[in-house]
Amino acid sequence: MLHISINGQACTVAEGSSLLQAMRDQGCQPPHPCHDDRLKPIGACRLCLVEVEGQARPVPSCATAVTDGMVVHTATARLQSLLRTNLSLLAHNYPATAVSEQPEHAFHQLLIQHDVNTGSNHHAPIFKDDSHPYLGIDMDRCIHCQRCVRICDEVQGQFVWKVWGKGEQTHIAPADGKSLLSSGCVSCGACADTCPTGAIFDKRSTGPVDHWTKTTCVYCGVGCQMEVASHDNKVVAIKPAGSPVNHGHLCVKGRYAFDFTHSPERISQPLLRKGGDWHVVSWEEALAFTASRLQELRRKYGADSLGVLGSARATNEENYLAQKFARVVLGTNNVDCCARVCHQPSAKALKTMLGTGAATNSFDDIEHTSLFMLCGCNPTENHPIIGARIKQAVRAGAGLIVIDPRRTELAACANIHLALRPGTNVLLFNAMAATLLEEGLQDDDYIARRVDGLADFRSFITAYVPEQIASQCGVPADDIRRAARMYAQARPAMCFHGLGMTEHLQGTQGVMSLINLALLTGNLGKRGSGINPLRGQNNVQGSAQMGCEPASLTGAQNLADAKVRASFEQAWDTTLPTSAGLDLPAMLAAASSGKFKAMWVMGYDIAMSMPNANQTLAALAQLELVIVQDLFLNETARAVGHVFFPAASNFEKDGSFMNADRRVQRVRQVVYSPGEAKPDWQIITELARHMGHEQGFTFKDPQAIWDEIRRVWPASAGLSYQRLQNESLQWPCLATANDNHPGTAILHQQGFGVGPKASLACIAYQPTAEVCDDDYPLLLTTGRELYHFNAGTMTYRTPNAQLKPTDTLDISPADARRLNLAEGQQAEVSSRYGAAILPIHITDKMQDGQLFCSFHRADLNVNALTSAYCDNLVHAPEYKVTAVRVKRVRG
Amino acid sequence: MDHILARLASDSFYHLSHASLKGSRCQGLACFAAQQHDPAGWKQACHGQPVVFCLGQCYRGPARQGEDALPHIASHARTSVLLGHVAQAAVLDLNEYCKTGGGQALHQVLQMDSAAVIQQISASGLRGRGGAAFPTGLKWQLLAAQKADCKYLVANADEGDPGSFSDRLLMERDPYRLIEAMLIAGITVGAKQAYLYLRREYEQTASILQAAIAQARVAGWLGQHVLGSPHAFDIKLIIGKGSYLCGEETAMLNAIEDRRPEARQRPPQITELGLYSKPTLVNNVETLCAIPWIITHGAAAYAALGTPESPGTKLLSLNSVFRRPGLYEVEFGISLRDIVDKLGLGLKQGQLKGLMIGGPLAGVIPPQLLDTPLAYQSLQQIDGAVGHGGVIAFDDSCSIAELVAQVFRFGAFESCGKCTPCHRGAAEIARHFDDILHGGRWNASRWQALVTALADASLCGHGRGLAEFAQSIQRHYHAELHTCFTSA
Repeated sequence: MLHISINGQACTVAEGSSLLQAMRDQGCQPPHPCHDDRLKPIGACRLCLVEVEGQARPVPSCATAVTDGMVVHTATARLQSLLRTNLSLLAHNYPATAVSEQPEHAFHQLLIQHDVNTGSNHHAPIFKDDSHPYLGIDMDRCIHCQRCVRICDEVQGQFVWKVWGKGEQTHIAPADGKSLLSSGCVSCGACADTCPTGAIFDKRSTGPVDHWTKTTCVYCGVGCQMEVASHDNKVVAIKPAGSPVNHGHLCVKGRYAFDFTHSPERISQPLLRKGGDWHVVSWEEALAFTASRLQELRRKYGADSLGVLGSARATNEENYLAQKFARVVLGTNNVDCCARVCHQPSAKALKTMLGTGAATNSFDDIEHTSLFMLCGCNPTENHPIIGARIKQAVRAGAGLIVIDPRRTELAACANIHLALRPGTNVLLFNAMAATLLEEGLQDDDYIARRVDGLADFRSFITAYVPEQIASQCGVPADDIRRAARMYAQARPAMCFHGLGMTEHLQGTQGVMSLINLALLTGNLGKRGSGINPLRGQNNVQGSAQMGCEPASLTGAQNLADAKVRASFEQAWDTTLPTSAGLDLPAMLAAASSGKFKAMWVMGYDIAMSMPNANQTLAALAQLELVIVQDLFLNETARAVGHVFFPAASNFEKDGSFMNADRRVQRVRQVVYSPGEAKPDWQIITELARHMGHEQGFTFKDPQAIWDEIRRVWPASAGLSYQRLQNESLQWPCLATANDNHPGTAILHQQGFGVGPKASLACIAYQPTAEVCDDDYPLLLTTGRELYHFNAGTMTYRTPNAQLKPTDTLDISPADARRLNLAEGQQAEVSSRYGAAILPIHITDKMQDGQLFCSFHRADLNVNALTSAYCDNLVHAPEYKVTAVRVKRVRG
Repeated sequence: MDHILARLASDSFYHLSHASLKGSRCQGLACFAAQQHDPAGWKQACHGQPVVFCLGQCYRGPARQGEDALPHIASHARTSVLLGHVAQAAVLDLNEYCKTGGGQALHQVLQMDSAAVIQQISASGLRGRGGAAFPTGLKWQLLAAQKADCKYLVANADEGDPGSFSDRLLMERDPYRLIEAMLIAGITVGAKQAYLYLRREYEQTASILQAAIAQARVAGWLGQHVLGSPHAFDIKLIIGKGSYLCGEETAMLNAIEDRRPEARQRPPQITELGLYSKPTLVNNVETLCAIPWIITHGAAAYAALGTPESPGTKLLSLNSVFRRPGLYEVEFGISLRDIVDKLGLGLKQGQLKGLMIGGPLAGVIPPQLLDTPLAYQSLQQIDGAVGHGGVIAFDDSCSIAELVAQVFRFGAFESCGKCTPCHRGAAEIARHFDDILHGGRWNASRWQALVTALADASLCGHGRGLAEFAQSIQRHYHAELHTCFTSA
């Protein structure tokens, strides 16, 4: 600690603090319009100057590090006079109307307090752009603090804003001088967030605010923390909150795409379909009807004809109740959630090989690794905050290998981009493993201590040397070798992977072959390393972890384990069903064959998002009862629903989410639900009551549910709401006498969940049967993109639809020429399973022979194209490989 | 990542990115001071595009690009350290350079350990001749002590101070001496890559250096094994795009990185985090050019020149207001009066109104202080500076209002735009003095407030230097200055 004096007051300051931080701790806050804690200080505005004894001139407190013994004065006449002069210079070209219209603004208060006249005398060009739906620009009030430029550079890494000119001609404008969007803006809003004067502002967030509420973002699995402003029971603005996850940053979805919650299309009363049409009914009628139908069907067809789908959008507490309802009230293990179609292969692979089915490391390791290997993920679009952090780390010198068929934004920044042919992940990772062993790059010491099965693996893997498999992968053998060397030599190297790894015939095995690489190089159990699936939805990690999975109970505890069963049976005062549960694809298959009869679908539009949509719909149409619980009358409800329960959005309830790095974070109610919509947990408990299960389903609030979860899942026992209020904790977090378990940032530091040593897996490559031929010569992969989210039910009900109005069929320039397709033209895509019409987007991010499209618009029905092939172990659909043909739509 | 970083490029900062300088007239202060010798030419210069603030031809101002001729070059030191080839015949061939003793220092250094080299430089008392006067040996020692996989050397050849042309002549007439010195510096501190940052206005210098570097590479001076030694060293010539500020070393580093050449906040010092965040040694051309002599003649010989407090020699550039303008090597300790009378042989016309030594960002020295010796401390005591050794004389045809207007016009134009007092305050002063030249009057208290803000609150030496100039005008030309202000 350092000892200094500020205005005669002795104080103690942590080493490395700036003077500004030290002064804040003393309650003394100088104006500092050019400083933001998220940015490196530049000391430009000169308003935070202080005098330090022994220094000839005042120093900027933001940019001056405290040294021991400093004697600081912050309020001398000299400083007051300098502040006034500098303010007068800033006010010289500041619009007077800005001050009179928004006197409450902090910078305006400063001008008023110091009685500084504004001048409105402009000497430099003023940039104008009114084209962005969210970002407003009034550059006549720019004071050249460069915070917009710096935050776009240092935090987002997009370099949209730029300082132009010099001297008095200095002005701020986008990089191309024309507009934000044409300069590559990704609409994260960081510039508006940091702007001290309102020169860049959120167009929609200028009104009054009643409350700010801290909660967790409702989109991807990164789990950003944010402050939500409400007025008049409406969400009116969102700002990033500081947290180890997002470091005060948000993306366009988290920050701006909240209007869906107030959409006029929200369903706010329960509905029953009677004679083909939907009718508004009371909750009592809806619940009574549903309870009696479920009981009737169970009597008629047995409990295993019924099933429940939990929701990746719902809280941990709600998913816990959903699976408890299935097992205790319905008496079946037929319970699943959408983890099935995304990262169940990751969870399975990690659990099988290492013992825990979740990311091994933390997002905070990003700044501590030497190399990233990104496999089948596109974080700058789908996990934008992590994408931005990776980009910054790469700028700061970390290496980057990207394995992806497309030249994504990060692939374009990579040291090595392996643009493999979709479906060849296992070949590629095996070839990297073969290279490591052939060239002696493995970590022998680590292997000796922590890895089994090297001898068998060594003889197995020789068949996969790069030269042997390169042509099948579509990647030069040399590049594979270079990547293997780079990964092995980085120490530590950190893998992130996405659905490009999992949504394949060998999804689980692909992840296992990646885990082999981490084991061989000692990249597990230490900071800056690991295998880290980037989870796609806010609580997809939580929904499966809570037990919405046929073979697992809460905490991914094995249902088949007698001890586990016994403890749950005791906790729940019940006998657990013994028959093996069906997962979602199996439920659909059983529905087709008439064995499965009823399904309760929460927050999950399966008709739109499951593959092979024509077959999916035919299966769903066989069901005698489909209960849909959602914010909107989604495609599933429209097509096959019988009962609709209107649910509360995540701005309308309390609970917790679990993010991709095993953090449990609070969700807090910001506004009341419209009409009679209710949180999922209440709907579940009420239906349980209607089915005679009051006991075990009576909870005062989500905290009471969570406390029950902590009792049945020991690894979460230490995560009380009380601790989550102020701490960001990752499970395992055990109960301790002092209630101070630190959580677990890095798994497998000592041994593995499976034992002291983990075993290498010999994974033979198995090609998918979904192959191109003369009729279907092109390979289509589907995925998400920046401005929209999954089924589009949320983002298409926000101005994000203006930023990206449609899914597109992305095609390489050469293919477009060959097929005579022009940008924007409608094209018909056909696969062996169905067809869809999409507008063409020509981009050099695509390789020849491959296509990509997102699947966010229900009316475009992209899943009519995808096949029924799925992962050979856990049935995640093979969304990433569909053979198609494309032709122009005439007219 | 390069394609992303390319977006940081800031061509709009520079005013000579794409401009041709052919036929441009100089608006630098030395030429301003000499406007009475060619009023029509000066008038053209004032309205010329692109704006050129110093062509480094101050001995024949008002100067015009393309009409250069060699000035008078002479040494008035007991021993000339720097002007050997410069004063006699330019040496543009490496073999010839070696025949006349060139390369000897480098050979010596290759046999020495770096501590011994640094010890020599420290003992010589050599200080940074670019203006900052930081002890060179100490700087080298700081660099050598850095444990880093990569260090850089940057030679500052952005001789932007209007009124000086010494570095230009050193580079044009003795380029291998600079290359040899850079090699010695790089090998001593452990930098394998060097950048030679040359200002855009020195077009002829650029081609000479380019050729010299190429020849040095062919001859094995530069490359993976310098003269067959284990040392790797190479030089990349970077041509500026028109910015006075790039002479400030942190701004220069930003410029080399293709970022906006704004001054960086210090600390961190660039000896720790410099170019591309690596430890970096920045030395000025004249400083470097003294190194080979110090190595071959010994530190004591160098330290014996000049004064104990300011050892060694300094190059002075005298402008065309003097009767005998030109480049002079002097020992520290020579009086300003001797510089005016014995070197410059007095003024071509009129009475001396003041001397500006070391560029516009320092105090103006009035005639009554001419007995001050040229030395770091003594000039500092009268609010002047040695600076880079440009000596601009003003005769009595120049009014103080004109001088202040011109210095602030230059200062505001070249301000980077980052800190408030400099980019806004300098511009406000420039606007008001322009108004004063057109008959207006200004408020003395506002002037005072702005000068104080420049002095106390500027981020870098640019704003502070402008304040030093203004304060010296206030002190030495008080009465005349106050005719610019309203009586209240």
